[in-house]
Amino acid sequence: MPMPDRRDLLAGAGLFFGASLSPPLARALAAADNQGGFTASHAVFNDAQRALVTAISDRILPATDTPGAVAAGVPAFIEMMQADWYSPGDRMDFLAGLAALDDFALKEDGKLFAALAVEQQDKVLTTAMHGMMPGLASGFFNHCRQLVMLGYYTSEIGCKQERVYLPVPGRYDGAYPYAQVGRIFAS
Amino acid sequence: MPDYDFDAIVIGSGISGGWAAKELCEKGLKVLMLDRGRMVEHKKDYTTEFKGPWQLPYRGTLPPGEVARDYFLAKWGGAANTDRNHFYNNDRLNPFDYAGSTPFRWVRPNQVGGKSLIWGRVSLRWSQIDFDANRKDGHGVPWPIGYDELAPWYSYVEKFAGIAGGREGLAQLPDGEFQPPHAMNVAEIWVKERLEQALPDRKLIHTRCANMTEDKPEQGRTRCQKRNQCARGCSFGAYFSTQSSTLPAARKTGNLTLLSDKVVTALDYDPATKRITGVRTIDANTMEAKAYTSRIVFLCASAMASVQILLNSRLPGSDRSFANSSGSLGCYIMDHAMRTFFWGTVPAGELDQYVEYGRRPTGVYIPKFRNLNGQDADTDFVRGYGMQGGASRHAVDPDGFGASMKEGLRKYGPWTIEFNVFAECLPYKDNTLSLHPSKTDRFGMPLIVFDVGFRENEARMMVDAARQGEIMMRAAGLVDVGSRQDEHVPGDAIHEMGGACMGDDPGASVVNRWSQAHDAANLFVTDGSHMSSTNCVNPSLTFMALTARAADHAVQLAKEHVI
Repeated sequence: MPMPDRRDLLAGAGLFFGASLSPPLARALAAADNQGGFTASHAVFNDAQRALVTAISDRILPATDTPGAVAAGVPAFIEMMQADWYSPGDRMDFLAGLAALDDFALKEDGKLFAALAVEQQDKVLTTAMHGMMPGLASGFFNHCRQLVMLGYYTSEIGCKQERVYLPVPGRYDGAYPYAQVGRIFAS
Repeated sequence: MPDYDFDAIVIGSGISGGWAAKELCEKGLKVLMLDRGRMVEHKKDYTTEFKGPWQLPYRGTLPPGEVARDYFLAKWGGAANTDRNHFYNNDRLNPFDYAGSTPFRWVRPNQVGGKSLIWGRVSLRWSQIDFDANRKDGHGVPWPIGYDELAPWYSYVEKFAGIAGGREGLAQLPDGEFQPPHAMNVAEIWVKERLEQALPDRKLIHTRCANMTEDKPEQGRTRCQKRNQCARGCSFGAYFSTQSSTLPAARKTGNLTLLSDKVVTALDYDPATKRITGVRTIDANTMEAKAYTSRIVFLCASAMASVQILLNSRLPGSDRSFANSSGSLGCYIMDHAMRTFFWGTVPAGELDQYVEYGRRPTGVYIPKFRNLNGQDADTDFVRGYGMQGGASRHAVDPDGFGASMKEGLRKYGPWTIEFNVFAECLPYKDNTLSLHPSKTDRFGMPLIVFDVGFRENEARMMVDAARQGEIMMRAAGLVDVGSRQDEHVPGDAIHEMGGACMGDDPGASVVNRWSQAHDAANLFVTDGSHMSSTNCVNPSLTFMALTARAADHAVQLAKEHVI
């Protein structure tokens, strides 16, 4: 069983003691709450939206000889960003884009995007990419694509398995043969 | 003899304050160093060091709403990044004002060590050309000192700080006491060879920087590990900071008392003896007011904050600062002009087989080449600019999505090289910092009011820099050459200087040739505020040299019982 982390313990204390929480514990809880930016502070997506974001992430950066966006936790990253990083207006735009994508899939193929076969999903995304999807803001596909890429290439899998991660290189070589690495160094 | 709390008080613990504390402590003085920011201990408080992007909040970028609320100025110095935002001032809690519509971007740190933890570490000497400039073209207060007087002090601070660089023999950028430079990459060497052959008066050299390439075991410091994450703090002590270098040296003497969270609001002054008699502070957490006394005071609070403290140190029964008998206190506020960029791409060829292993903390530099021997025939401005840059390769974003995009993102694009221009800003007497007549901050300090703008000379220089940049890129054989001039606002370069300028004439300047206040013999002002011009090079190394020199002089005067 995984150990509950300090944040979970403190959050539990907050629920249990409520307003009578002792000042030192309350301060610790506040500090832990300020450590945002890792998991969504509240749910933004319903189950259908979460499935849709997961399916989009998978098609944009699928598993190949390395794990893809879903294994790298990109859908949860996107929900965190929507919950805690985006402005309310930008969040509404993103949710409207998701709705337009599912509407299109339903109208064209009779199913929600997440329920389509991957070939059909790719067709829907290609339509979105070319700006040919009625009701979808022109920048939505690119926006989605960038979010997935950001989440993936900054994830532990993206840095360590897809790219080559050198936390402490120790030396610099300005003429290092690309053939010896064959990949991109994560920064 | 009055009974003092300390032999010396150093106000501020950044690059200048750290040096003042080290030098004074090592000369046997009991020193109190004060900083308005929180305590940051070397290694222990570098909380984001060694973390991967997935271990940083928001994967490294603060939410825009938080930036807009708390870091709307500090963002220009990098505070929108979650690996370092804890080293910056909260702008909401520390307001200031502008006169008229001219903005000023004052980027401030928020901790002991000041900007030494987050600086760019470029360390370049001034030359005699630069010390002559004010006298020759008639702008600002003439410098009372020349290169020869500062050269031994440059050597002194370079040896301790650990500066990596190459010896070039350039008159406009004197060589120093260097460790070996950080190597150029294969593309930079390619550009250097072609540029210097096509345009022999242009040089492309290693950037000289305070990131060591050799260990300093006597200081417990290890050479650069090529992480290029300096702004998080460096537990190797590979770059010069107060925490890695001057603070341990000062502490080792047993003579240092360091107090964080102490906001200095004013200096007490005795007009009869023309001496500082006390340093007034407010505790940033408890709001408790307390004054400290000392025989000597070093004011190193950062250029703008030092001027604010001086302006707020008023003669008894007067609105006028004790330090302003010249009427020049708060005048000649300067910052380097920047945000002009140029770039080019190395044509496809044999260099494409190479990439960079490791991440250097610096790059390459094109030293000043304009108006070196009087006025160039084809310039419509005085003085000049330098260019900082570097070559690199990045993954190129392919179109589309899916497995083919993922595979495409495993390949590097071509070598590109890009430069950012730093141009000298002339000292204009009416570029000023004053105190607001009624508005105060949470410590009761009158708000700073900036009235500072760049002018025709800076604008012309930047136009020339963009044009010359493109000429150089093309001459070197690069393709896809371009340039861009973004809006440049004073403060952007975080090289703010002036306000308490150095000069021989007590009627025109605030401090003398020893960085000693004309109006108070026991006060030394050695940070950016006492610079009478900016040159075009990064200023910190010069602050270090001037501070060490002033500390030596102050102790000599104290021994002779002059102060």
